[in-house]
Amino acid sequence: MTASVNAPLNSRGKLASSLPAEQLAEISELFEFRRKGYSLDAPFYTDATIFKIDMEAIFGQHWIFAASIAELPEAGDYVTVDYGPYSLIVLRNDDGGVNVLHNVCRHRGARVLTEPAGSTGNLVCGYHSWTYSPEGNLIHASAPGETKFDKGCFGLKRAHSRVVAGLIFVCIADEPPADFDETAKIFEPYLAPHDLSKTKIAYQQNIVEEGNWKLVMENNRECYHCDGHPELACSLFPTWGLTEGLIPAHLEEVWDRNKEAQSSLEERCRRYGLPYEVVEELDTRIAGIRISRESLDGDGESFSPDGHRLSKKLLGDLPDFRLGRCSMHLQPNSWFHFQSDHVITFGVFPINEHQSLVRTTWLVADDAEEGVDYDLEKLTYTWKQTNLQDKAFVELCQTGAGSPAYEPGPYMKSEYQVEAFINWYVQRVQEHLA
Amino acid sequence: MIELGTVAAILEPQRIRGLEMPWNRVMGTTEGPAGAARALGPWHPQEFMAECVETVPEAGGMMTFVFRRCDGAPLAFRAGQYVNVAFPVNGEDQDPVDRSYSLSSSPTEPWTFSITVKCDPTGLVSPWVHENVAPGTVLEMLGPVGAFHLPDADRRARYLLLAAGAGITPIMSMLRTIHSLPGTADVVVLYHGAEAGGFAFHEELAYIASVDSRVKVFYALGDRSKPEGWEWLSGRLTAAMLDDVAPDANGRQVYACGPEGYLNTATELLGKIGVDDTSINMEFFTGDRQTILEYQAEIALAVDIAEEIAEEIADSAEDYYESQPTAFGLYEPGYDAEGPLKATGLPLETVDPDAPTSEAPDGSPDVGPEAATPDASSFDTVGTGSLTLSFMRTGINVRIDPTEHILGPAQRAGVRIGANCKEGMCGSCKIVKLSGEIEMNHQGGIRAREIDAGKFLPCCSTARTDMVIDA
Repeated sequence: MTASVNAPLNSRGKLASSLPAEQLAEISELFEFRRKGYSLDAPFYTDATIFKIDMEAIFGQHWIFAASIAELPEAGDYVTVDYGPYSLIVLRNDDGGVNVLHNVCRHRGARVLTEPAGSTGNLVCGYHSWTYSPEGNLIHASAPGETKFDKGCFGLKRAHSRVVAGLIFVCIADEPPADFDETAKIFEPYLAPHDLSKTKIAYQQNIVEEGNWKLVMENNRECYHCDGHPELACSLFPTWGLTEGLIPAHLEEVWDRNKEAQSSLEERCRRYGLPYEVVEELDTRIAGIRISRESLDGDGESFSPDGHRLSKKLLGDLPDFRLGRCSMHLQPNSWFHFQSDHVITFGVFPINEHQSLVRTTWLVADDAEEGVDYDLEKLTYTWKQTNLQDKAFVELCQTGAGSPAYEPGPYMKSEYQVEAFINWYVQRVQEHLA
Repeated sequence: MIELGTVAAILEPQRIRGLEMPWNRVMGTTEGPAGAARALGPWHPQEFMAECVETVPEAGGMMTFVFRRCDGAPLAFRAGQYVNVAFPVNGEDQDPVDRSYSLSSSPTEPWTFSITVKCDPTGLVSPWVHENVAPGTVLEMLGPVGAFHLPDADRRARYLLLAAGAGITPIMSMLRTIHSLPGTADVVVLYHGAEAGGFAFHEELAYIASVDSRVKVFYALGDRSKPEGWEWLSGRLTAAMLDDVAPDANGRQVYACGPEGYLNTATELLGKIGVDDTSINMEFFTGDRQTILEYQAEIALAVDIAEEIAEEIADSAEDYYESQPTAFGLYEPGYDAEGPLKATGLPLETVDPDAPTSEAPDGSPDVGPEAATPDASSFDTVGTGSLTLSFMRTGINVRIDPTEHILGPAQRAGVRIGANCKEGMCGSCKIVKLSGEIEMNHQGGIRAREIDAGKFLPCCSTARTDMVIDA
């Protein structure tokens, strides 16, 4: 891989087929000869053409996380989300459902909505005032003298959407992969009791990390680096990702505490009928998932220094604060922590081959009052700190991938989920290129 | 799976989730039929005359007295509140003696109301009440008073109601109220009594528990008097007992009423099983001086409000009733900067109002503007051992033995130190000492010049002297 070509992203054909044969062969080879169990070759993290392929093969083909329903509480509320070159409008419609529209005016391509979030009736492009209904139909375009202009042909392009347990997923592909419904059946019972429709945003943080989106995801899929997260280590057992037999001597005591907390959590879950078993299908299905309910240290309630609740209002109809964290990883761009008192959603929105937006949203019960039921600083402290530390880690790796001395290194046993993520990614792209 | 995009939302009737008092929706209504509920006001204490209409003997030496207001108005109150009653114990021509009693009836039946009085043969008032108050007796009352009550609306409505002895009276009001209302409440009652036959309301409690699936009632006897065949719990309140009756107690709002010792124990145990202190509501039936003063203040405030309202009504009754508040939260009696005051049924004359108060004798110096460096002498000290480590950024003193590695006790005390190998190799726990001597056995995790700069690895270091550490 030597140079990248600014090949156009052709909406009528695959990028791959428009690449020079030699370059395509080179890229395909990189995927084909990827060394299993090792981090990826540098171009995967640095090359603009591979980034374009990622956008087409991963973000253009799969179900991806966009937002939660709490970000659009009322009809007309919207957020705009960008995935590389794509910009989408995610809009709450009058029926309580969600419409997802490409944020590209059908006149001359201007961004229709330019704010990251807001509330709107119809959608009016700021350039020539082409006006679309919330369903995307072009309902007004001044056309003096035009005789052959058919408004019906120029609606905003729509994308697919699914709302599951209050999480909004979008798919840009004409024909979305069908197995998402099966994945949704797996995670819906874990998340539904937290009732996101009765939550509100306490805080949302956007961080631009100077790193390829895959490095952001890789970093999230392991806790080998968790010594670098002292705030998180108070409540998250540092044995996360380890199994019996892999526990180093200095963590044996923690491991015992972890096991005890886990069995007490499982007893609670059985009592309340909450699922807790680990389901791990990170690279064995198209909509790859890992979900489980796991114990937290201390009081076992939330991500605080002593594990005590950070918001005093229980979510949904949950009966108990000591429910640990229900955590979910979804391929390709999201992870979540559902506690009894608050929920944190994480979405990764690639910008280009070396920059990614990481959006973290803290949700609390919609009747929780700031300053009374929760202290915003305390609520967000652990993950704000952790995110900054993670940003630094990702950036260290991005810098490294740019060095001529970089060569892929081995994922350790505790990093098996990183390998699963990369394996999933390589498979998905290869299938697309084939 | 919910697929919001495909199905038009159907307007559903608003299901009552949790608990909602019948008057709650009136708060948002100014006109129309629901506004009629405002007739149940006024929503603040009043002085009024009430006539006893019925007496009901209860177990445990208690008696319920049912009243109605002489002016025919309903009594608006919240389940858990109390009234202050003037009893002419020494005859009609002498000053009456005031006592406060929790209302035991439900505010959802506001046309009559009840208090339930335990007879204390050594007392001044309660034997008189048992003997003299009968249908036809008219008494002067002030009420309702008290911050100990159910909320007007609570979509979670998961309660643990703790009662000891006569402490069952406000709890009974709460339980009757919940039982009378629709909703998805979840109530556990744990009722401590002194003897098997002494549980007031036990027949009604058993009935409610048997017909209302939202309610579970548990009885417990103290240590002393467990008769043969007693099938309920026994022994004083313990964490294990709370966990038995309500393993999800930490997700519930707790309302507890009883003698001071019982409530103090309850506070401690509830904390231990993870109930947040803001989820604990208490009413003291006996209490120390401080408690008594707080209740006095609460009643004094209620008197002031009652007088103010009475004057307004005297000025123009019509204007007054027109201006009844649409927000009933207007009167929340007995709050101060520290939160809700407690309410009680104490003999008020036992307090000498001229006695010097015991408030704020502590000599903590008010240093004014924050000092530039924190003073370790003001830090909390944890642990045992002959040496003291002061962690300046965390703000804690940790006592430690000279043989212990510093890392463990520091981390357990909440000092944030990242650590990986814990064998002096990786250096990830490196911190700076500001003063004191250590002995370190590292394995290459720190460089000589770092040690010279005052850094050390707490995972493989012991303290030789007291130390001040920048962590």
